[in-house]
Amino acid sequence: MRLVDLPLFKKIFARQKARHYEYLSKKWTARHGELRERLGSKHGDSLKWLSEKVSPQQLAAGSLGGLMLLSVPTASALSAGGLPEPPANIAQRTASKESVLAAELSGKLPPEVRPLTAEEERDIVEVLTKSFGFKVVPEMEGKRLNRSFGLIGGEQHLYRFPGDFLWKHFETEEESRLFGPSGIAPGLGAWRYFAPSEAEFTQRDKMRERFYIAVQTFLAPGFSERVREYVDFFKFRKMIVVNPETGQSVVTVVGDAGPAEWTGKHLGGSPEVMYYLGLDKGPRKGPVLFFFIDDPEDKIALGPVSIK
Amino acid sequence: MKKYFYSHIVEVESLFLELEKFGFSEQEKAHLITLIDSSLHHAVLDAILSELSGGDKKIFLEHMAAGDEGKIWKFLLGKVENIEDKIRRAAEELKGELHKDMKETRGKG
Repeated sequence: MRLVDLPLFKKIFARQKARHYEYLSKKWTARHGELRERLGSKHGDSLKWLSEKVSPQQLAAGSLGGLMLLSVPTASALSAGGLPEPPANIAQRTASKESVLAAELSGKLPPEVRPLTAEEERDIVEVLTKSFGFKVVPEMEGKRLNRSFGLIGGEQHLYRFPGDFLWKHFETEEESRLFGPSGIAPGLGAWRYFAPSEAEFTQRDKMRERFYIAVQTFLAPGFSERVREYVDFFKFRKMIVVNPETGQSVVTVVGDAGPAEWTGKHLGGSPEVMYYLGLDKGPRKGPVLFFFIDDPEDKIALGPVSIK
Repeated sequence: MKKYFYSHIVEVESLFLELEKFGFSEQEKAHLITLIDSSLHHAVLDAILSELSGGDKKIFLEHMAAGDEGKIWKFLLGKVENIEDKIRRAAEELKGELHKDMKETRGKG
């Protein structure tokens, strides 16, 4: 007779851990919300003034990063016991602009996730172009993807140069904590490495891996007839990805091809892309809009984008 | 934990050690640590901003956005008496609550 039923014990322990995590997560999320609310209600004017003065990228890089990065609301985070809705604080202005965009999009999107009609696409592209202040298009050089509204799923990091490894991707402990657990894909991306060697690896390559998406290039109309031309077109093509439920948006590049049709997903996002879309918790999946960015001079920076 | 200009006067390791005892996964831990980090940052900023006038708040926030620790400290030390104590007190108060939450959680079995 076994004195200790090990699997049962493990199960009980796992359940207890899950309960503890849920409890702490809920409690600390609520407390975090209160602190943000207090900060916003007491010093909202000064924080708003700052957010109008400097770019979100600069804020994220400076000592206010901890505020900014965590102050954007995400529907998925809420459902997963993540961070709460923001109060009137530094991010509220941003969040409210995002909310306005989300509200505007909700009136133009179909209730189900399906390919958009030409008319729907036109309307949405107009809204996005106006919101971001740069040209957003569903088609470039006569090429388009098979859809511009679909389900995004979380991807892993990609090897950037020969000899690269996961922990080399992060510069701070915070980055390691946020983006390390996603892991690194065992194989290379569709365009192979981002740089031929570590010595030739640039900041631009780093940003490309950080903010990459995988799109179903192989389903693009005309792809099978002109594979080389299409591959050249899609490689590192700049695209905007928008979470229509929250308005959170990220400028990305096409860094990989996929996911397979059978997955039910229509594109994939790097851990950083998913984070800034507010889709990094729970199932790491959700509906998004994705369009090309017409940026011939490569002036638009990759990463989370603020609404004008 | 992100390094802030006040990190050297705010001890957080005790919170992490306590959290470690729960045996959470790396992802769960990362989420909770992020909440701790951001909550402390909000509490400390609130404590500092509450000591400054409207114009001084803007100057301070500009230094913060630029990430210039030297300027931040020079400015704060010149404007607020015992600012280090005030930062420490705000952090300690929140830390106390977080420790209490963890104790309470374990007590739930």
